[in-house]
Amino acid sequence: MGLSIDWSGVLTGQPLHWLLSGLVVTLAITLVASGIATAIAVGLTALRLSPVTPVRLATQAGISLIRNTPLLIQLLVWYFVGFGLLPPALKAWMTGDHPWSVLPGQVSLFAPEFAASAWGVGLFIGVFLSEELQAGLNAVAPGQREAAASQGLSRWDTLASILLPQALRNAYQPVVGQYLNLMKLTSITCSIGLAEITYQARQVESFNSHAFEAFAVATLLYLAIGFILERLLLAGRRA
Amino acid sequence: MGLDFTIIAKNWDYFLWGRTPQGEVGGLLLTVLMALAAGTLSLVLGIGLALASWLGPRSLRTVLTFLADLVRSIPLLLVIFWIYFLVPALFRTTVPGALSVILALAWFSSGAVMHTTLAGLDALPRGYREAGIASGLSEGQVFTAILLPQALRNLVPSYVALFASMIKDTSLAFILNVPELTMTANQVNTRAQIYPAEIFLFTAAVYFVLCAGLSWAAHGLAFRLRPGRVAL
Repeated sequence: MGLSIDWSGVLTGQPLHWLLSGLVVTLAITLVASGIATAIAVGLTALRLSPVTPVRLATQAGISLIRNTPLLIQLLVWYFVGFGLLPPALKAWMTGDHPWSVLPGQVSLFAPEFAASAWGVGLFIGVFLSEELQAGLNAVAPGQREAAASQGLSRWDTLASILLPQALRNAYQPVVGQYLNLMKLTSITCSIGLAEITYQARQVESFNSHAFEAFAVATLLYLAIGFILERLLLAGRRA
Repeated sequence: MGLDFTIIAKNWDYFLWGRTPQGEVGGLLLTVLMALAAGTLSLVLGIGLALASWLGPRSLRTVLTFLADLVRSIPLLLVIFWIYFLVPALFRTTVPGALSVILALAWFSSGAVMHTTLAGLDALPRGYREAGIASGLSEGQVFTAILLPQALRNLVPSYVALFASMIKDTSLAFILNVPELTMTANQVNTRAQIYPAEIFLFTAAVYFVLCAGLSWAAHGLAFRLRPGRVAL
């Protein structure tokens, strides 16, 4: 078997539609999971600063659980187990039809797969983000916290307007790395059937055996998204 | 929700070694073997690359760093695909799924090992090299006899941490239907249908024990090897 390259097998007709809708799904899941990850990271940072010891210990235990198991297993748990625990009305709504979310190629964007993926990837990266923020926080002088307390700021205000901005500045590069990591890890969601770029590349491959072309396009798409995302996030530091 | 773990008790040997008695290595055994093989490969490759970029010209370091970063900006899942589909196309030979995953993990992680090793070398005081040169050692001798052994000793905890994340990454072998622990769990789940919670929580627990145990060991090592402590 030699290597003969034919781009028309992936850049026309049905395969093109699949890859384009895969791109939209990857962008959407990256965006939603990033939002979830950010919220979780801030929440965990707050919990870690709690004066109540059991709260801190429980937070630490939860973080350790997420860090020491594969994302794939977590996705399987959220998809096969977590979804079943939701209230029936919510489940019915999630599995129902959502005409507003149908993409080219008859792919429905919003479905249980999307919800489980966004939550699973968001939680996973949220934990790693909170570790980076913690490292950034450790480099903030203790006097900052004491000064804020002596000014009468509440603990939440101290965290949100004094500590987190400085922690973020200290750990900016690793934090950007985690968001890039999140984008790449969305590829694993194809395991629970989310039709993102990797899933669609496999679909093209089994449809017309153009494995090389399909994976080349997928690889270039990930490289391009990563490049743009990194530029945007690094520009955010200067702003 | 009541959990019924008899499904685990009935299949425990399948989780541990899959169909190994029938001649097809699988389950946790395959997970550990793949991680060990990929870990050894990436350690050798990564340290080799670090040596090349430390001793070679400045431009070589730039090129190697660029290549390592390029591999890491592609999802690992796609790296696995590339090896599985491209190697047969280019070399007219098929690669078993497990080997593809090992090669992909080694390729992916050797960049991380290189970065870590270089950071460890950079962290050594400059005086070590200068003292070696002043004692009449060559640049190569200074490196192999003075710098590398000390850097490696400091780096053991980082390598252990990288190995723990490699164990987690072997789960991506599901994409090629390699029967490692996650795939085995998936098979049991498909067969039993009604026990996903028990099966996946048990599998998560197995990974947790392995990886948390390793990071705990890494912390212990970091403590024992910390600078200023006299080696036993």
